[in-house]
Amino acid sequence: MIGCYDFCGHYEWTFEWLHQQGGHAAVKAYWDEAIHRDSQVHAGRLIREKGFEGMKEYWGPTLADEGAVYERTVTDDVFRIDMHECPSKGFLLRNGLHQYADYCDHCMGWIGPLMKDAGFVIDHEHNHHGQCWWEMRRAADATPASVPGALSGSHDVRLRADWPQPATDHYERATDPDDKNTVV
Amino acid sequence: MPPAASPLPYTDTKPHGHADFYFAVNATFRFILARFGYEKLKRYWTDIGSGYYKPVSDNWKLGGLAAVAEYWRAFFVPEPGAEVEIMQADDAVTVEVRTCPLIKHLRDHGREIVPCLCQHCYYVNDAIAGPAGMTVRVKGGNGCCTQRFVLSSRDEPPQQPGEIKEATA
Repeated sequence: MIGCYDFCGHYEWTFEWLHQQGGHAAVKAYWDEAIHRDSQVHAGRLIREKGFEGMKEYWGPTLADEGAVYERTVTDDVFRIDMHECPSKGFLLRNGLHQYADYCDHCMGWIGPLMKDAGFVIDHEHNHHGQCWWEMRRAADATPASVPGALSGSHDVRLRADWPQPATDHYERATDPDDKNTVV
Repeated sequence: MPPAASPLPYTDTKPHGHADFYFAVNATFRFILARFGYEKLKRYWTDIGSGYYKPVSDNWKLGGLAAVAEYWRAFFVPEPGAEVEIMQADDAVTVEVRTCPLIKHLRDHGREIVPCLCQHCYYVNDAIAGPAGMTVRVKGGNGCCTQRFVLSSRDEPPQQPGEIKEATA
Protein backbone atom coordinates (compact mmCIF):
# COMPACT_ATOMS: atom_id res chain seq x y z
CA MET A 1 0.00 0.00 0.00
CA ILE A 2 1.05 3.55 -0.67
CA GLY A 3 0.59 5.31 2.66
CA CYS A 4 0.24 8.85 3.96
CA TYR A 5 3.01 8.72 6.60
CA ASP A 6 5.79 9.06 4.00
CA PHE A 7 3.56 10.85 1.50
CA CYS A 8 6.02 13.65 0.75
CA GLY A 9 8.60 11.09 -0.31
CA HIS A 10 6.50 9.31 -2.93
CA TYR A 11 4.85 12.60 -3.92
CA GLU A 12 8.26 14.03 -4.83
CA TRP A 13 9.24 10.77 -6.55
CA THR A 14 6.03 11.02 -8.59
CA PHE A 15 6.96 14.50 -9.90
CA GLU A 16 10.09 13.07 -11.50
CA TRP A 17 8.23 10.02 -12.82
CA LEU A 18 5.66 12.29 -14.46
CA HIS A 19 8.44 14.51 -15.83
CA GLN A 20 9.98 11.48 -17.50
CA GLN A 21 6.61 10.46 -18.99
CA GLY A 22 5.39 13.83 -20.24
CA GLY A 23 7.90 16.56 -19.44
CA HIS A 24 7.17 19.76 -17.54
CA ALA A 25 3.66 19.98 -19.02
CA ALA A 26 2.68 16.72 -17.33
CA VAL A 27 4.02 17.83 -13.94
CA LYS A 28 2.30 21.21 -14.20
CA ALA A 29 -0.98 19.58 -15.24
CA TYR A 30 -0.67 17.16 -12.31
CA TRP A 31 -0.33 19.97 -9.76
CA ASP A 32 -3.33 21.77 -11.19
CA GLU A 33 -5.67 18.92 -12.14
CA ALA A 34 -4.84 16.25 -9.55
CA ILE A 35 -3.83 18.35 -6.55
CA HIS A 36 -5.68 21.67 -6.92
CA ARG A 37 -8.88 20.50 -8.59
CA ASP A 38 -9.16 16.99 -7.12
CA SER A 39 -7.18 16.26 -3.94
CA GLN A 40 -7.45 19.78 -2.49
CA VAL A 41 -10.87 20.64 -3.88
CA HIS A 42 -11.97 21.47 -0.33
CA ALA A 43 -9.29 24.17 -0.08
CA GLY A 44 -10.42 25.80 -3.31
CA ARG A 45 -14.04 25.80 -2.18
CA LEU A 46 -13.20 27.42 1.17
CA ILE A 47 -11.01 30.15 -0.32
CA ARG A 48 -13.33 30.99 -3.21
CA GLU A 49 -16.27 31.29 -0.82
CA LYS A 50 -14.62 32.94 2.18
CA GLY A 51 -11.45 34.63 0.94
CA PHE A 52 -8.94 35.35 3.73
CA GLU A 53 -11.22 33.66 6.27
CA GLY A 54 -11.20 30.54 4.10
CA MET A 55 -7.39 30.63 3.98
CA LYS A 56 -7.35 30.68 7.78
CA GLU A 57 -9.81 27.78 7.94
CA TYR A 58 -7.81 25.73 5.45
CA TRP A 59 -4.22 26.31 6.48
CA GLY A 60 -4.81 26.39 10.25
CA PRO A 61 -5.78 22.73 10.76
CA THR A 62 -3.82 21.45 7.76
CA LEU A 63 -0.46 22.88 8.77
CA ALA A 64 -1.05 21.88 12.39
CA ASP A 65 -1.73 18.27 11.41
CA GLU A 66 1.28 18.22 9.11
CA GLY A 67 3.49 19.47 11.97
CA ALA A 68 4.61 22.75 10.42
CA VAL A 69 6.45 25.43 12.41
CA TYR A 70 5.14 28.67 10.98
CA GLU A 71 3.66 32.08 11.72
CA ARG A 72 0.49 33.45 10.21
CA THR A 73 -0.21 37.17 9.82
CA VAL A 74 -3.61 38.28 8.55
CA THR A 75 -4.93 41.80 7.94
CA ASP A 76 -7.95 43.01 5.97
CA ASP A 77 -5.78 43.08 2.84
CA VAL A 78 -3.21 40.33 3.07
CA PHE A 79 -2.74 36.76 4.27
CA ARG A 80 0.90 36.03 5.06
CA ILE A 81 2.65 32.80 6.06
CA ASP A 82 6.21 32.64 7.34
CA MET A 83 7.21 28.99 7.15
CA HIS A 84 10.15 28.29 9.44
CA GLU A 85 10.09 24.48 9.30
CA CYS A 86 8.25 23.11 6.30
CA PRO A 87 7.11 19.60 7.27
CA SER A 88 7.10 18.51 3.66
CA LYS A 89 10.54 19.70 2.53
CA GLY A 90 11.86 18.83 5.96
CA PHE A 91 10.83 15.21 5.47
CA LEU A 92 12.74 15.06 2.20
CA LEU A 93 15.85 16.68 3.63
CA ARG A 94 15.92 14.42 6.70
CA ASN A 95 15.50 11.31 4.57
CA GLY A 96 17.90 12.37 1.82
CA LEU A 97 15.24 12.23 -0.90
CA HIS A 98 15.80 14.29 -4.03
CA GLN A 99 14.47 13.09 -7.38
CA TYR A 100 12.75 16.16 -8.86
CA ALA A 101 14.49 19.42 -9.83
CA ASP A 102 12.65 21.69 -7.35
CA TYR A 103 10.14 20.08 -5.02
CA CYS A 104 9.17 23.47 -3.59
CA ASP A 105 7.57 24.46 -6.94
CA HIS A 106 4.67 22.11 -6.25
CA CYS A 107 3.11 24.60 -3.79
CA MET A 108 2.89 27.33 -6.42
CA GLY A 109 1.87 24.57 -8.83
CA TRP A 110 -1.44 23.98 -7.08
CA ILE A 111 -1.92 27.07 -4.88
CA GLY A 112 -1.21 29.44 -7.78
CA PRO A 113 -4.10 28.29 -9.99
CA LEU A 114 -6.33 28.05 -6.92
CA MET A 115 -5.63 31.68 -5.99
CA LYS A 116 -6.18 32.77 -9.58
CA ASP A 117 -9.62 31.15 -9.58
CA ALA A 118 -10.40 32.79 -6.25
CA GLY A 119 -9.26 36.27 -7.35
CA PHE A 120 -5.93 36.56 -5.51
CA VAL A 121 -2.27 36.97 -6.47
CA ILE A 122 0.78 35.68 -4.63
CA ASP A 123 4.17 37.04 -3.63
CA HIS A 124 6.33 34.11 -2.53
CA GLU A 125 9.91 33.10 -1.95
CA HIS A 126 11.46 29.75 -0.97
CA ASN A 127 15.03 28.84 -0.13
CA HIS A 128 15.02 25.05 -0.74
CA HIS A 129 15.92 24.43 2.89
CA GLY A 130 12.43 24.27 4.38
CA GLN A 131 11.81 27.99 4.77
CA CYS A 132 9.56 30.20 2.68
CA TRP A 133 7.09 33.07 2.89
CA TRP A 134 3.79 33.79 1.17
CA GLU A 135 1.63 36.90 0.81
CA MET A 136 -1.80 36.58 -0.78
CA ARG A 137 -3.60 39.77 -1.86
CA ARG A 138 -6.70 40.45 -3.92
CA ALA A 139 -5.81 40.65 -7.61
CA ALA A 140 -7.10 44.25 -7.77
CA ASP A 141 -4.74 45.30 -4.95
CA ALA A 142 -1.48 46.55 -6.50
CA THR A 143 0.38 46.70 -3.17
CA PRO A 144 3.86 45.18 -3.57
CA ALA A 145 5.26 42.51 -1.29
CA SER A 146 6.18 43.72 2.18
CA VAL A 147 9.77 44.50 3.12
CA PRO A 148 11.34 42.14 5.70
CA GLY A 149 9.81 42.58 9.14
CA ALA A 150 7.08 45.01 8.07
CA LEU A 151 4.15 42.59 8.27
CA SER A 152 5.17 39.77 10.57
CA GLY A 153 7.83 41.53 12.63
CA SER A 154 10.45 39.27 14.15
CA HIS A 155 8.62 36.22 12.80
CA ASP A 156 9.56 37.19 9.24
CA VAL A 157 11.47 34.24 7.85
CA ARG A 158 13.66 36.61 5.83
CA LEU A 159 15.20 37.86 9.07
CA ARG A 160 16.61 34.43 9.93
CA ALA A 161 20.39 34.30 9.97
CA ASP A 162 20.23 31.31 7.67
CA TRP A 163 17.74 32.83 5.18
CA PRO A 164 20.06 33.99 2.38
CA GLN A 165 20.85 30.47 1.28
CA PRO A 166 22.93 30.04 -1.88
CA ALA A 167 19.79 30.54 -3.95
CA THR A 168 16.20 31.58 -3.41
CA ASP A 169 13.33 31.34 -5.87
CA HIS A 170 10.81 34.13 -5.83
CA TYR A 171 7.49 35.02 -7.40
CA GLU A 172 5.83 38.43 -7.71
CA ARG A 173 2.05 38.77 -8.07
CA ALA A 174 2.08 35.26 -9.48
CA THR A 175 -0.44 32.47 -9.97
CA ASP A 176 1.63 30.19 -12.18
CA PRO A 177 4.57 27.96 -11.18
CA ASP A 178 6.42 29.12 -14.29
CA ASP A 179 6.45 32.76 -13.12
CA LYS A 180 9.58 32.06 -11.10
CA ASN A 181 12.73 34.16 -10.80
CA THR A 182 15.85 32.75 -9.19
CA VAL A 183 18.23 34.81 -7.07
CA VAL A 184 21.75 33.40 -7.03
CA MET B 1 5.97 7.16 15.68
CA PRO B 2 8.12 4.25 14.45
CA PRO B 3 11.00 3.25 16.76
CA ALA B 4 14.45 4.72 16.19
CA ALA B 5 15.68 1.58 14.43
CA SER B 6 12.65 1.44 12.20
CA PRO B 7 12.04 -1.14 9.49
CA LEU B 8 10.55 1.75 7.52
CA PRO B 9 13.00 3.28 5.04
CA TYR B 10 11.72 6.83 5.47
CA THR B 11 10.64 8.19 8.84
CA ASP B 12 9.14 11.40 10.12
CA THR B 13 9.28 13.36 13.37
CA LYS B 14 5.51 13.27 13.87
CA PRO B 15 3.68 10.18 15.15
CA HIS B 16 1.25 9.70 12.29
CA GLY B 17 0.66 10.72 8.71
CA HIS B 18 -1.70 13.48 7.58
CA ALA B 19 -4.78 11.55 6.43
CA ASP B 20 -5.77 14.15 3.82
CA PHE B 21 -2.77 13.00 1.83
CA TYR B 22 -4.92 9.97 0.96
CA PHE B 23 -6.91 12.40 -1.20
CA ALA B 24 -3.76 13.03 -3.21
CA VAL B 25 -2.95 9.32 -3.58
CA ASN B 26 -6.41 8.72 -5.06
CA ALA B 27 -6.14 11.85 -7.23
CA THR B 28 -2.72 10.81 -8.50
CA PHE B 29 -4.07 7.47 -9.73
CA ARG B 30 -7.04 9.23 -11.38
CA PHE B 31 -4.73 11.72 -13.11
CA ILE B 32 -2.36 9.07 -14.50
CA LEU B 33 -5.28 6.89 -15.60
CA ALA B 34 -6.98 9.79 -17.43
CA ARG B 35 -3.85 11.22 -19.02
CA PHE B 36 -1.80 8.12 -19.81
CA GLY B 37 -4.15 5.13 -19.53
CA TYR B 38 -4.41 1.96 -17.45
CA GLU B 39 -1.21 0.28 -18.69
CA LYS B 40 0.80 3.34 -17.69
CA LEU B 41 -0.90 3.42 -14.29
CA LYS B 42 0.22 -0.19 -13.72
CA ARG B 43 3.70 0.89 -14.82
CA TYR B 44 3.60 3.73 -12.26
CA TRP B 45 2.75 1.24 -9.54
CA THR B 46 5.51 -1.19 -10.47
CA ASP B 47 8.04 1.65 -10.92
CA ILE B 48 7.27 3.12 -7.51
CA GLY B 49 7.56 -0.36 -6.00
CA SER B 50 10.93 -1.09 -7.58
CA GLY B 51 12.23 2.51 -7.35
CA TYR B 52 11.02 4.54 -4.39
CA TYR B 53 10.52 1.42 -2.25
CA LYS B 54 13.81 -0.26 -3.24
CA PRO B 55 15.17 0.04 0.32
CA VAL B 56 12.21 -2.09 1.45
CA SER B 57 13.08 -4.74 -1.14
CA ASP B 58 16.70 -4.73 -0.02
CA ASN B 59 15.62 -5.20 3.59
CA TRP B 60 13.27 -8.06 2.72
CA LYS B 61 16.02 -9.74 0.71
CA LEU B 62 18.30 -9.64 3.74
CA GLY B 63 15.73 -10.42 6.41
CA GLY B 64 13.32 -12.76 4.63
CA LEU B 65 9.74 -13.18 5.74
CA ALA B 66 10.54 -11.92 9.25
CA ALA B 67 11.51 -8.58 7.69
CA VAL B 68 8.25 -8.55 5.72
CA ALA B 69 6.24 -8.98 8.91
CA GLU B 70 8.27 -6.31 10.73
CA TYR B 71 7.79 -3.87 7.88
CA TRP B 72 4.03 -4.20 7.75
CA ARG B 73 3.70 -4.00 11.54
CA ALA B 74 5.61 -0.71 11.48
CA PHE B 75 3.96 0.55 8.31
CA PHE B 76 0.41 0.59 9.57
CA VAL B 77 1.12 2.18 12.98
CA PRO B 78 1.26 5.77 11.65
CA GLU B 79 -1.49 5.27 9.03
CA PRO B 80 -4.57 6.94 10.60
CA GLY B 81 -7.57 4.62 10.97
CA ALA B 82 -5.82 1.40 9.96
CA GLU B 83 -6.99 -1.85 11.55
CA VAL B 84 -4.63 -4.58 10.49
CA GLU B 85 -3.35 -7.92 11.76
CA ILE B 86 -0.02 -9.35 10.66
CA MET B 87 0.51 -13.12 10.90
CA GLN B 88 3.82 -14.79 10.22
CA ALA B 89 4.19 -18.51 9.43
CA ASP B 90 7.23 -20.48 8.23
CA ASP B 91 6.32 -20.03 4.58
CA ALA B 92 4.20 -16.89 4.40
CA VAL B 93 3.29 -13.56 5.95
CA THR B 94 -0.38 -12.67 5.88
CA VAL B 95 -1.51 -9.06 6.18
CA GLU B 96 -5.15 -9.05 7.14
CA VAL B 97 -6.46 -5.55 6.46
CA ARG B 98 -9.70 -5.22 8.39
CA THR B 99 -10.03 -1.46 7.81
CA CYS B 100 -8.08 0.03 4.94
CA PRO B 101 -7.20 3.57 6.09
CA LEU B 102 -7.07 4.88 2.54
CA ILE B 103 -10.53 3.69 1.52
CA LYS B 104 -11.96 4.67 4.90
CA HIS B 105 -10.73 8.26 4.71
CA LEU B 106 -11.93 8.70 1.13
CA ARG B 107 -15.36 7.33 2.06
CA ASP B 108 -15.58 9.38 5.25
CA HIS B 109 -15.10 12.52 3.15
CA GLY B 110 -17.38 11.54 0.29
CA ARG B 111 -14.58 11.36 -2.28
CA GLU B 112 -15.03 9.60 -5.61
CA ILE B 113 -12.69 6.61 -5.44
CA VAL B 114 -10.77 5.40 -8.49
CA PRO B 115 -12.36 1.97 -9.14
CA CYS B 116 -9.04 0.17 -9.70
CA LEU B 117 -7.44 1.74 -6.59
CA CYS B 118 -7.14 -1.58 -4.72
CA GLN B 119 -5.02 -3.05 -7.50
CA HIS B 120 -2.17 -0.77 -6.48
CA CYS B 121 -1.50 -2.95 -3.44
CA TYR B 122 -0.81 -5.93 -5.69
CA TYR B 123 1.34 -4.12 -8.26
CA VAL B 124 3.33 -2.02 -5.78
CA ASN B 125 3.87 -4.82 -3.27
CA ASP B 126 4.75 -7.42 -5.90
CA ALA B 127 7.34 -5.03 -7.35
CA ILE B 128 8.83 -4.69 -3.86
CA ALA B 129 8.68 -8.43 -3.20
CA GLY B 130 10.07 -9.64 -6.55
CA PRO B 131 13.72 -8.58 -6.13
CA ALA B 132 13.61 -10.10 -2.62
CA GLY B 133 12.63 -13.50 -4.03
CA MET B 134 9.01 -13.23 -2.96
CA THR B 135 5.61 -12.58 -4.43
CA VAL B 136 2.26 -11.40 -3.12
CA ARG B 137 -1.34 -12.41 -3.69
CA VAL B 138 -4.19 -10.06 -2.84
CA LYS B 139 -7.75 -11.13 -2.21
CA GLY B 140 -10.64 -8.79 -1.46
CA GLY B 141 -10.42 -5.02 -1.44
CA ASN B 142 -12.87 -2.13 -1.26
CA GLY B 143 -12.06 -1.53 2.39
CA CYS B 144 -10.72 -4.87 3.64
CA CYS B 145 -8.48 -7.48 2.08
CA THR B 146 -5.95 -10.23 2.65
CA GLN B 147 -2.42 -9.86 1.33
CA ARG B 148 -0.23 -12.98 1.45
CA PHE B 149 3.54 -12.70 0.94
CA VAL B 150 5.23 -15.98 -0.04
CA LEU B 151 8.59 -17.09 -1.39
CA SER B 152 8.69 -17.12 -5.20
CA SER B 153 10.09 -20.66 -5.03
CA ARG B 154 6.68 -21.90 -3.90
CA ASP B 155 5.34 -21.59 -7.46
CA GLU B 156 2.22 -19.82 -6.30
CA PRO B 157 -0.60 -19.67 -8.90
CA PRO B 158 -0.70 -16.26 -10.60
CA GLN B 159 -2.68 -13.39 -9.13
CA GLN B 160 -6.21 -13.54 -10.47
CA PRO B 161 -7.37 -10.01 -11.36
CA GLY B 162 -10.93 -10.92 -10.40
CA GLU B 163 -9.86 -11.59 -6.83
CA ILE B 164 -9.24 -7.88 -6.28
CA LYS B 165 -12.49 -5.98 -5.87
CA GLU B 166 -13.28 -2.64 -7.43
CA ALA B 167 -13.35 0.22 -4.95
CA THR B 168 -16.59 2.09 -4.50
CA ALA B 169 -17.66 5.18 -2.60
